Amino acid sequence: MVVESRDLREVIREEPLRRREILKAVADGPRTVPEIAGLIGCPTHEVMYWVMGMRKYGYLAESSEADDEGLFHYRALERLTP
Amino acid sequence: MDYDVLVIGSGIGGMESALKLGDMGYRVLVVEKEASVGGKMILLSKVFPTLDCASCISTPKMAATIHHPNITVRTYAEVERIQRRQDGTFSVSIRQNPRFVDEAACTGCQLCEQACTVAVPDQFNADLVSRRAAYIPFPQAVPKKAVIERPGTSPCTFDCPAGIKAHGYVSLARSGEYEKAFNLVLESTPLVGSLGRACFAPCEDGCSRGSLEGPVPIRRIKRFVADTHYQSELPLGVEPGSTTGKRVAIVGSGPAGLTAAWQLRLLGHEVKIYEAGPVAGGALGLTIPNYRLPSEVVAEDVGNVTAIGVEIELNHRVTDLGELSDRGFDAVLVATGTPRSGRLGVEGEELPQVVPSLDFLETSKLGRGMDVSGKRVVVVGGGNVAIDAARSARRLGALAVTEVCLEGRSEMPAFDWEVDEALAEGVQLEDGWGIARVQGQDRVEGIELKRCTAVFDALGRFHPTYDESARQSIACDLVVVAIGMGPDTESFAPLLDRRGNGTLAVDPGTLQSRVPKIFACGDVVDGATMITTAVGQGRRAAHMIDHFLNSQAFDPEEFNLLLPRVEAQDVLRRQKTHSRKDALGSGKELVLDPRDFHEIEAPLSEAEVHYSAGRCLDCGVCSECHECVNVCPADAIHLDMRPEKVETEVAAVVVSTGFKLFPADLKPQYGFGRFKNVITGMQMDRLLAPTRPFNTVLRPGDGKVPERIAYVMCTGSRDQTVGNPLCSRICCMYSIKQNQLIMGALPLADVTVFTIDVRTAGKGYDEFYVQAEAMGTTFIKGRIAEIRELDNGDLVLRYEDIEHGGEIREAEFDLVVLAVGVQPNLDTRQLFGAGELQHDPYYYVEEVDEDLNPGQTSIEGVFVAGAASGAKDIPESILHAGAAVAQAAAHVEALRVRS
Ligand SMILES: Cc1cc2nc3c(=O)[nH]c(=O)nc-3n(C[C@H](O)[C@H](O)[C@H](O)COP(=O)(O)OP(=O)(O)OC[C@H]3O[C@@H](n4cnc5c(N)ncnc54)[C@H](O)[C@@H]3O)c2cc1C
Ligand code: SF4
Ligand code: SF4
Repeated sequence: MVVESRDLREVIREEPLRRREILKAVADGPRTVPEIAGLIGCPTHEVMYWVMGMRKYGYLAESSEADDEGLFHYRALERLTP
Repeated sequence: MDYDVLVIGSGIGGMESALKLGDMGYRVLVVEKEASVGGKMILLSKVFPTLDCASCISTPKMAATIHHPNITVRTYAEVERIQRRQDGTFSVSIRQNPRFVDEAACTGCQLCEQACTVAVPDQFNADLVSRRAAYIPFPQAVPKKAVIERPGTSPCTFDCPAGIKAHGYVSLARSGEYEKAFNLVLESTPLVGSLGRACFAPCEDGCSRGSLEGPVPIRRIKRFVADTHYQSELPLGVEPGSTTGKRVAIVGSGPAGLTAAWQLRLLGHEVKIYEAGPVAGGALGLTIPNYRLPSEVVAEDVGNVTAIGVEIELNHRVTDLGELSDRGFDAVLVATGTPRSGRLGVEGEELPQVVPSLDFLETSKLGRGMDVSGKRVVVVGGGNVAIDAARSARRLGALAVTEVCLEGRSEMPAFDWEVDEALAEGVQLEDGWGIARVQGQDRVEGIELKRCTAVFDALGRFHPTYDESARQSIACDLVVVAIGMGPDTESFAPLLDRRGNGTLAVDPGTLQSRVPKIFACGDVVDGATMITTAVGQGRRAAHMIDHFLNSQAFDPEEFNLLLPRVEAQDVLRRQKTHSRKDALGSGKELVLDPRDFHEIEAPLSEAEVHYSAGRCLDCGVCSECHECVNVCPADAIHLDMRPEKVETEVAAVVVSTGFKLFPADLKPQYGFGRFKNVITGMQMDRLLAPTRPFNTVLRPGDGKVPERIAYVMCTGSRDQTVGNPLCSRICCMYSIKQNQLIMGALPLADVTVFTIDVRTAGKGYDEFYVQAEAMGTTFIKGRIAEIRELDNGDLVLRYEDIEHGGEIREAEFDLVVLAVGVQPNLDTRQLFGAGELQHDPYYYVEEVDEDLNPGQTSIEGVFVAGAASGAKDIPESILHAGAAVAQAAAHVEALRVRS
């Protein structure tokens, strides 16, 4: 997982851009951050920023428990505003 | 005296100072630079050693501060300068930054935040998650009011003469909101598709991304949103305003006239356009060739205007403006452009095969193009219109097309890329030549050229000079003259003032003519410009006419008043690195000798729009996409707010600006910023707080619940290598607090603390440490030499195990917390004149008599409270504030007695 770091601001700026890809990745059911990262082809730490931003703004919610590997699964939410 | 005491900063030190003074009956002004009071404490999880919930203690104090009858609070404001006056009081200059939200109206519903299209790091969550450009700082913010981060206007938006929110539609396109992007452009002009193609895009010239790999293709993104809208057949999402009963006549349906008509209709006025030509659109509909701007696109744009009820009467040339007044129009706008082509003034010009460029382009655009097949065409001129004419002649089947211009290649007024494209299509260029005469008796047979030696005189005025002896002739059958355009305004002369070049003279701010109800705008006023300039003038004219019709005072200075432009170097400096994102190619397919007028520029695909909009740097942070304005149920958002200067007088000052945290990346051997699972103590406090950024304590690297957590104490404290020999006093204790909270939140986690020694001076502090140990925290005496990251994100810590013979050992962890220390807040150095407020050798505000009079500074009447004078925890800060305010009160009383 030693990956080249992009500037935090640059990564976070991409959240609106990545939102559709991430919602597509969880369309068939909840997924962990590493699973989403695999599906959209981005590093897990970048996906963390986007998933947590989307969680904060009501696009995603987590499963109640972490799985055996200590990972939560994130699912899409119906959002009141677009 | 406006206030007795000014308190700067509203952390626990500032709030406590203000509350105590307020309770004593003093009038207090609190100035806080963030948008909420509360400082760092409100962001903490719990407090040591009681483990009381930090926000449960803080929130009531924050509310009390705001609502106290003796306390006035200015959040989102900065003290710029304090001057001590002769009488011992102080004059204070404050800059009130605009929130762009009416505090009284905002209900804190957060709908703006939900709708905002710009994501930035959330400083209130120690950068662990995003926030929006429109945001409420944190859930317990007081006041709980939104604020919009707008350091200035993005270059693209600032540079758009039409006043289109370019950054706004780029950010909407990035979110996939194409219809909203289309509607945002409609706020300025109905000509979305035309501008998306034929605009010369000054927005892109200054785009900050241009200083990296090339500008964002802003214009082509607009074209994409226009095409998407028109292909969708969605209804126009705009309606005319409620009827005012006023009627406006507009003469000319070019970009200026159409835009003015659109705006006036949206304001509820009845609008009728009179257009001399057979189609609407002015240059768009009549002259700009179809290979750059297809007529169907212009028709779609014009359709927007008629869809909201503007009537357009074609083939109606207005020659008598007075007649329009007589027909009952309340105002008239003249927007007739520059329909006349310039003349050469040489022998042979009267021959029938010498044609003005605009006639040539118009017949070609309207599908009645001259038959030039097999003919040799010479186009005279070096500007954009000449290029359009030459390229059109190639498409109409000319045998050869030669463009002749006075200027050398590098001086030509046409854009370089246009000249390149014309050459690529087989146009030949004879640059640096003037026209001596057109040759031929009854018909054109050739053109004689003379060498141009200079185009401009020493003062830069157009004044060509020639070498009459250097001549050449070009055999040709047709000459197209494209040497400038001018207005056709003789018939308006009796009523309106004209300048020497025939343009109309109107007030440049209000666009009103000498006849109050007649206005003029666009190229008929400015001379030949660009579509986007004409659009901007059309908007201005509509705004002014609306004021005229409503008998409101004109406000020419206010119209389209933007915040200052954000400069590219400031934007680029916000990031340490920028990863490379190459610009797309031009998308133009150029062929030698083209034979039809099909559009040469390919549309962007959705993926290309996505990629390109993703290159935008959000220069002005807020993109002005207006989504917040559209959703705010309280109508609270006012993007026209501006900073305010406030001058005030106070008797005493309490400096309570707190501390900064050590930037952990200054210890590169710990990998903060590079290793994703190395975080700071403040970040861990956020992860443990009830309003945390993640669902629980997770590794930022992959979202895994950590099981092995290490603490590295004294990061940036007691460390000469970073210039800070001081102990930060709080990091041992907050780490011990976090150890206990982690064991509550993650019962399976092992916590190991690497420390030089643990410092727990304070009532109950040592017991708190012992309790952590009893709960299972392991304390290892040893300083960390280095941290390494493994492929799975785990971290290896290398340390000297002091208690076991100083052996070098390594241990593996899932997550590492750097217990960062405290640094002085250097803002205090700017508050007073140079050197007046003294600082100690570590740059904290100096307490000149620390032992006997804590809180007293080097300036009489100025006191320091809390961590601004050195590291303190919450109880110490509260105590210190007590000491400072007692002295501040005494000072105020002393002044009263004196006066
Ligand atoms: C060939 C060519 C190519 C150009 N290419 C570009 C480009 O790619 N990008 C760019 O930014 N700019 C370009 N321009 C410049 C741009 O077209 C103008 O700046 C813009 O059109 C000016 O708008 P306007 O509304 O003031 O005038 P116009 O577009 O000229 O519109 C005036 C309208 O008024 C009508 N009219 C005139 N007199 C009367 C009357 N007495 N009664 C009723 N109606 C009347 C005219 O028929 C016309 O429809 C180009 C210009 C030309 C000629
Ligand atoms: S949408 Fe309006 S009322 Fe709601 S938080 Fe934002 S500004 Fe305040
Ligand atoms: S980077 Fe974005 S906001 Fe900045 S000028 Fe370019 S398009 Fe506009």
